[in-house]
Amino acid sequence: MVGYNSLELLVGLPLLAGLFCLILSDRFKDLARIVSLLVSLAVFAGSVYLFINKPGPWQLGSNIMLASDNLSSFIALGISFFALTVSVYSLTYSTRSLGRYFGYILITLGAALGAAFSVNFIALLVFWGIVAAMLYLLVNIAGTEASAVAAKKAIIIVGGTDALLIFGVGLIWHITGSFNMGASRIGLSGLTAFSSYLVIAAAGLAKAGAMPFHSWVPEVAEHAPISVTAYLPASVDKLLGIYLLMRASLTIFKMSDIANLVLLIVGAITIVFAVLFALVQHDMKKLLGYHAVSQVGYMVLGIGTANPIGMAGALFHMLNNSIYKSCLFLSAGNVEHRSGETDLSKLGGLAKYMPITFAAFFVASLSISGIPPFNGFVSKWMLYQGVIASVGLGGKLKVLWLVAAMFGSALTVASFMKLIHAVFLGRPDGDFAHIKEAPFNMTMPVVVLASICIIFGIGAFVLPLPLLIAPAIGLGISYSGAWQPMPATLLILAGLVIGVGGYLLLKTAKFRQTDTFVGGWDPDKLGRVDGTEFYNTVTDIKMVGKAVKLEAGGGFDIYSISSSIIKAMSRPLRFLHNGILPTYMVWCLLGAIGIMFFIFLR
Amino acid sequence: MTPQALVPYMIFVPLAAAFLIPPFGKKFKRAGDAIPCAASVCVTTLGLYLASSVALSKVLVHKPYGWQAPFGTAFVVDGLSGIFLVAMNIVALVVAVYSIGYLNTYTDRWKFSSLFMLMLAGINGVLISGDIFTLYVFLEIAAISGYFLVAFGIAPDGLEAAFKYAVMGALASVFVLLGIALIYAHTSTLSIAGIASVISVGQQTDVLKFATVLLLVAFSIKAALVPFHAWLPYAYSSAPAPISAMLAGVSTKVLGIYTIMRIFFVMFEMTPQVSMVLIALGVASMVVASILAFVQVDIKRLFAYSSISQIGYVALGLGVGTPLAVFGALFHLLNHSAFKPLLFLASGAITRLTGTRNLGKIRGVMKDSPVTGTATLVGSLSICGIPPLGGFWSKLIIILACIQAGRPVLALVAVVVSVLTLAYYFRSITQVIFGKSVIRGQREGAVTVSMAIAMVTLVIISASMAILLLPNTGNAVLKEAVSVILNGKSYSAMVAGVLK
Repeated sequence: MVGYNSLELLVGLPLLAGLFCLILSDRFKDLARIVSLLVSLAVFAGSVYLFINKPGPWQLGSNIMLASDNLSSFIALGISFFALTVSVYSLTYSTRSLGRYFGYILITLGAALGAAFSVNFIALLVFWGIVAAMLYLLVNIAGTEASAVAAKKAIIIVGGTDALLIFGVGLIWHITGSFNMGASRIGLSGLTAFSSYLVIAAAGLAKAGAMPFHSWVPEVAEHAPISVTAYLPASVDKLLGIYLLMRASLTIFKMSDIANLVLLIVGAITIVFAVLFALVQHDMKKLLGYHAVSQVGYMVLGIGTANPIGMAGALFHMLNNSIYKSCLFLSAGNVEHRSGETDLSKLGGLAKYMPITFAAFFVASLSISGIPPFNGFVSKWMLYQGVIASVGLGGKLKVLWLVAAMFGSALTVASFMKLIHAVFLGRPDGDFAHIKEAPFNMTMPVVVLASICIIFGIGAFVLPLPLLIAPAIGLGISYSGAWQPMPATLLILAGLVIGVGGYLLLKTAKFRQTDTFVGGWDPDKLGRVDGTEFYNTVTDIKMVGKAVKLEAGGGFDIYSISSSIIKAMSRPLRFLHNGILPTYMVWCLLGAIGIMFFIFLR
Repeated sequence: MTPQALVPYMIFVPLAAAFLIPPFGKKFKRAGDAIPCAASVCVTTLGLYLASSVALSKVLVHKPYGWQAPFGTAFVVDGLSGIFLVAMNIVALVVAVYSIGYLNTYTDRWKFSSLFMLMLAGINGVLISGDIFTLYVFLEIAAISGYFLVAFGIAPDGLEAAFKYAVMGALASVFVLLGIALIYAHTSTLSIAGIASVISVGQQTDVLKFATVLLLVAFSIKAALVPFHAWLPYAYSSAPAPISAMLAGVSTKVLGIYTIMRIFFVMFEMTPQVSMVLIALGVASMVVASILAFVQVDIKRLFAYSSISQIGYVALGLGVGTPLAVFGALFHLLNHSAFKPLLFLASGAITRLTGTRNLGKIRGVMKDSPVTGTATLVGSLSICGIPPLGGFWSKLIIILACIQAGRPVLALVAVVVSVLTLAYYFRSITQVIFGKSVIRGQREGAVTVSMAIAMVTLVIISASMAILLLPNTGNAVLKEAVSVILNGKSYSAMVAGVLK
């Protein structure tokens, strides 16, 4: 690679390979698989290489288009890792249009890397938009009516904010006279600067799936192929969205108190509401989708604290979230692959038949719930410290943010208890005895992801934080709260050993074994507890019940709200379009009179 | 022959084809297909040749019969008409190819071919006319053949649409004629170059202002800017698909927008009042049409309303009037001439596949006919401004130009309308392309080879429009056209110099 710029190659290779896969005919399915695997492997190796040896920028004419710094090469590392994971996982995926599927996956990879490395706003807009278009096309791979509905919601919300992003870029261009990102940091004093920050933040939030732009995530999660969900909304879109938000807050703008407050509010609301909606879901994938929304809240909250520890926590949480969330989605995919079912009221007892998947899912659930010593705990712990350390307008309300974050965490635990019970432990509705563990290429990624959850949790201060996060933030991080994962883990393990030992010791007494019965009845004949109704009582709280009902009816959905507004606006216009020629002639006359006044009187 | 001498053949070739088709077309069925295609190939090649000569010599002027300056007519090709000649004739060629397959269920196809060639002759005539009266004559030829073509299916809705189109078109024609008469009375010349040298902004009399109003209204009707747009949804939706494509991609662009550029930028000088009117009409078209598009249930009406809205962008760009804005407007117009005919051709294929135009009933086109599905998809992605397709770049340029001109509110309107465009397209089109087919109206051979060739050609063109932005290649061609629009007077002076 000597003499050849590697950034250009890293972005260009998957794009070209993706186009190649697109034009492959359906006869060469295996070729598409191999190309995808090899290219994503090469790109991952390339981004590791680039992470260590920082390459020079790539210019188009005299404009620097792509360049890497610590933050973007960290994001690129994440993106290429998840692309590799999904490529491996999809080896046994089969659909009518496999060439298209892998083509889109690779184009997404190239465009996402391009977006991460862009230092020119125009280049960013192009790559950013391509990622959105690929999301649309990938969701549609499922080929059902429902997936089409989900896909259009996704492209309208994500693509719509992309158009707003153009406006923001235009305003920045107006202020600085340059399309160069971070040419100079812009103060958020004027209306122009503030509105351009808002629209850029909106683009980031929509991509990441924070409220009020969240509604596409659960829907895509429910209806898209699960590998697509794990790839885009759960990892790559999260990385990119938070990346843009971080980039805007760290290097493009000088944040003001108000802007931080907006972020804190958005974060807190997203955490609490999304997790409440997650509690009452009946579909495994949709439930996970709401968690994907809720977790974004933590990252936004962290960026809103505007101090190094909060920022670092947000970045670390973003990475952790992508790891455990794609692990959860992919394990759920294993369950769906083998049982053909995602409805919680039908699933159950799969731990016995799919032990590896269960183990991975369990570890990832503990991580997402923020239970030590897994990685989710460490990043949440950093976020809490960031909130406590926050100052200014947002700092005055720090208790509020803290309560929201912890409350959200508690509800996350609760909803995962429900999920694990309903999928892996409880009694199934139907015969699942024939189910086998998923094939190797599908278990391997989830095991790897779950192991990373453990490694990043126990070794947080050895591996990810000093190597990945601290350089990316570029600010000194000071930890106010002490957390030493090693001793803590040892203590937890010791506790477990003592517990198990005690159980084994006390078990020496002889027990009589008999069939289970409930009140003299065979439990099989009683109704089974499928777990879906665990938390339905939360809707008895008036506010919560209303919110849940509103969400189910699209009341928090920016898509349905705006479409009803536009429909209302169209009513008078439709009234005017009555199909009668004289009416139309009258308009022409009025228009002519209007133009005449304009030309003569102005 | 010199390139100057070849200029009138842009009109003669399609005109000759139009009159050759009736005697042969009835007897030899293939003649009705072959002649228009052959003629289209000829004029497209010729157009390319003329445009490339314009790149060298700025203007080509042909004076028939050696008439001298104040009396005779002249045919002129400059940078602006050059780029239009190429783009419009390519679209016409694609439509001619598409018609071979599409019209196999119609009777009397030779009449269609003949009218189609007549329309093309009119379009090319408008583009190369050097004086406003000749321009008017060719405008009428194109418009009247358009009325007949809209009614070609002789279904009740087609006849009704043609009637509405004809009435409103006639109104526009009367206004144009009256405007021309007033200008002639005032300046004693009809030549565009001559008028430009007589009039200057300083001496705007009331008569000229009134003529401005008349022409502005007339061309707005032709371009279907709100509130003069009412004929368009009827005409576009009821015409046979190739004609919808021709109207959307060629007719409104040339008869409406090109004429606005030629008359108000090159002949008259742009005044702040006219640019305000253009901005107002543009914004009204963008907003009103996209809100109405949101509630359409007919696929062709949806495309029709989106046409109005996209032309609004062009009018907005022209109204803002900075070099970047005019560049964006022109580029958007060319993009629209690529993707809107594509969408209409695809809608014709969809109608033949499913037997309906109802958006609620068409499902899963991608599965039944991948070519049609891809065509609809690429057209929609481009019109919604998804990078790296052409529509993204032209909208980006227009938005940035508005901000550059110090009009962020206009930029915001353009952005919001672009979000709306995205919303109404994907809202309606997603299930049409990717949904699960419910009705099996699939007819054998609904999408013929010629239709597929036409759609694939336009897909490739729409996808590669961004090439026109590359420096020193397409960019130079566009820049030349922009400089004609912006420095109209100097071009008029050049033409006048040749005529003397």
